[in-house]
Amino acid sequence: MRKKWLPLVFMALLMLVLAACTASKDAGKDETSKDGGKKEEKVLRLNNGVEPSSFDPSVAFDAVSWAPLNNLMEGLVRLNDKNEPEPAMAEKIDVSDDGLTYTFTLRDNAKWSNGDNVTAGDFVYGWKHMLDPETASPAAFLAYVVDGAESYNTGKGKPEDIAIEAKDDKTFVVKLNAPTEAFLNIISNPSFFPVNEKVATENPKWFTEADSFVANGPFKLESWDHDSKMVFAKNDQYWDKDTVKLDKVEWAMVNDSSTEYQMYQSDELDISTVPSELAEQLKDNKELTNQDQAGIAFYRFNVDKKPFTNQKVRKAFALAVDQQNIVDYVTKQGQKAAHGFVSYGLTNAKGEDFREVTGDLITFNKEEAKKLLKEGLKEEGWSKIPAVTLTYSTSPDNKKIAEALQSQFKENLGVDIKLKNVEPAVFMTEQKELKHQLSRSSFLFDYADPVNAIESFVTDSTMNRTGWSNKEFDKLIADSKKETDNEKRWKMLQDAEKILIDEAPIVPLYFYNQLALQKPSVTGVVRHPVGYLELKWADKK
Amino acid sequence: MVKYIIQRFLMMIVTILIIATLTFFLMHAIPGSPLDSDRTTNPAIQENLEKFYKLDQPLSSQYVSYLKSIITFDFGPSIKKPNETVNSLISRGFPISFELGMVTILVAVISGVILGTLAALRHNGVVDYLAMTFAVVGISLPNFILATLVIKVFAGELGWFPAATWQSPMHMVLPTLALATGPMAIIARLTRASMLEVLTQDYIKMAKAKGLKPWKIIIRYALRNAMMPVVTIMGTMLASILTGTFVIEKIFAIPGMGKYFVESINNRDYPVIMGTTVFYSTFLVVMLFLVDIVYGILDPRIKLHKKEGDAS
Repeated sequence: MRKKWLPLVFMALLMLVLAACTASKDAGKDETSKDGGKKEEKVLRLNNGVEPSSFDPSVAFDAVSWAPLNNLMEGLVRLNDKNEPEPAMAEKIDVSDDGLTYTFTLRDNAKWSNGDNVTAGDFVYGWKHMLDPETASPAAFLAYVVDGAESYNTGKGKPEDIAIEAKDDKTFVVKLNAPTEAFLNIISNPSFFPVNEKVATENPKWFTEADSFVANGPFKLESWDHDSKMVFAKNDQYWDKDTVKLDKVEWAMVNDSSTEYQMYQSDELDISTVPSELAEQLKDNKELTNQDQAGIAFYRFNVDKKPFTNQKVRKAFALAVDQQNIVDYVTKQGQKAAHGFVSYGLTNAKGEDFREVTGDLITFNKEEAKKLLKEGLKEEGWSKIPAVTLTYSTSPDNKKIAEALQSQFKENLGVDIKLKNVEPAVFMTEQKELKHQLSRSSFLFDYADPVNAIESFVTDSTMNRTGWSNKEFDKLIADSKKETDNEKRWKMLQDAEKILIDEAPIVPLYFYNQLALQKPSVTGVVRHPVGYLELKWADKK
Repeated sequence: MVKYIIQRFLMMIVTILIIATLTFFLMHAIPGSPLDSDRTTNPAIQENLEKFYKLDQPLSSQYVSYLKSIITFDFGPSIKKPNETVNSLISRGFPISFELGMVTILVAVISGVILGTLAALRHNGVVDYLAMTFAVVGISLPNFILATLVIKVFAGELGWFPAATWQSPMHMVLPTLALATGPMAIIARLTRASMLEVLTQDYIKMAKAKGLKPWKIIIRYALRNAMMPVVTIMGTMLASILTGTFVIEKIFAIPGMGKYFVESINNRDYPVIMGTTVFYSTFLVVMLFLVDIVYGILDPRIKLHKKEGDAS
């Protein structure tokens, strides 16, 4: 009796292993049959890092969802290689003289991958789905410029009152509540993509699997092995399919930068990010591409906590930061030092860059910093500076920067500060509750307009998190939103940014960038400062 | 025996309930919420989200609905991955972690036992020293270092195996190697130690005296008794390896469930934290139970019902 048990256990184990092996054998076969295709296919192999959070255009709210989704679908406009919105699903865009009414005429050959026509109704359906409070879309605020959108989303209004309308199958009309220069740019965001009403009514979960997914962009979703791999194939129903050169795009989901780099080295990937520990070693590599990303790393002063209650002390600390030094010797990822809050890459109608026009608003100045600190202490009657603790969320990169700042404050101001790191989610909560004195922050643009960044610091904004409030600043932002003359509006925003930097509730560090290794055989991949990876024009030799 | 199993079963349920309750309250005690983000947040949108995930309800009613979810084993949707339910995450990730874990365990047990036995038989000889040096290195070298190393050497330099992802048996080789080395070293050391002890026992001398073949003595008499400590650690080892390992799965981009244990806590993804905790603790308790049964098989002197008598 006893002896019969052991073989049984072994048998069970053996069967488990066999079962496991059959599963992986199938996977192997799958691959060989794919490789066995006769025609030389152009397959671009990318890494998305992780599984996209959602392919529901209304719910997706992160780069890992938007980068793939932007190539599967298309809104009324699409950003071109100069980062300007161009007609896409729409063929013609008419704007009324007051800048409030937009009339979009859709293309006759705008089609879904299942052959259905893309109609104005699909846009109405998609946008209302995003604004429905039940959808709980984190991106819904982007649509608040549309009349009636905010009240519906906050549960006060009715869906019928949103000022969007399908005049006929091909005509989509939107009314805004204020003239918004960035409107066309805003609607290039995936949240404003159409949703195929017919498909979505039949299957509300159409976006979760490759079989049910309907695309209207350059590519369609051929297969989606969750958490593991996605394959995009060229969409032959796409109106501009002749421009699309790639046959396939394969997306791996490798969430480890050094593995990703090894896969790039062993030719399993065509594009890879740069692991921060290898940044210096790879900095002269010919395969490196470096592009602006609209976003900034900065530190916040808490104006309710001593010593940062005093403007001169804040400014002194801000002037003691050597941004160029941090970019060159600490981060070493090719970022641009930030001497203002609005990133590079945001241009007006004349093609002028906001950052370049506004110029440097703050640069490292040790003498001035020391002088201001002395004056500040005198104003407050402090004989020595109250203790300062700098808080950052736990990560090796944040730590390096925090330590650099600590030594810069010591060297340039003669002030010893303490460092404290906190688990990221706890850090976020504490920062929102204004518990830190000096803390690390970042901002990424939602749409390509300076106001998106600057308005973070109006009184009581959830992004303010400094306790800082300035009436003149608030008024400039509020006025800029009503201003129809874009030149005047631009000027107001420049003035507001000057106040922000001069009052110094924050100190800018560096602007983000998109650094990647890309095989020389790959061309035409477009990375927008605000926007998502664009593969429509990509090619591989 | 039946009475013992029923008692153990009831104890298991109580244990899981206690673990689940503790996790629930600890999880809500840490600051931060799954809906926190660094971006501009609109209070209205925040409210929509809280309502959607029922986070606006008082903790007590969240606890009740969560207890319900344990009984039905339906933990609802993940907060960070709105398309997925916790069940779909587990049912997709677990088979993959299990597959890798099973291969790893087999490799570790077979090679560990062989290595340990050889070392014991050649006690204080060259084989012994080599095997034990290997074991010490295996135990002290963290598997993430080993993983990076094998990727660099076997995928990067030599190009024999793919660096990462999960597609074919070839893709399994490197992660298995990285994952199995540690447990194998532990098993080798345990086997060696208990084998040395067993080999001095009277019944082995008796067998030798009777002229039985040496390999027969080892396999039939010595090994069987030497396996007791190995079986003891197998329970926890199985549970932790079969449910996936965060680091190895991350490095090799294996779509198993190991990452959810860590990511769910970093994200404060409450349903996923609860789902993975309950799943893991159930698995662990069952494994420990099986180990107790295997004890009885290996060593008939351990009577299950007797143990129960000892306890009272």
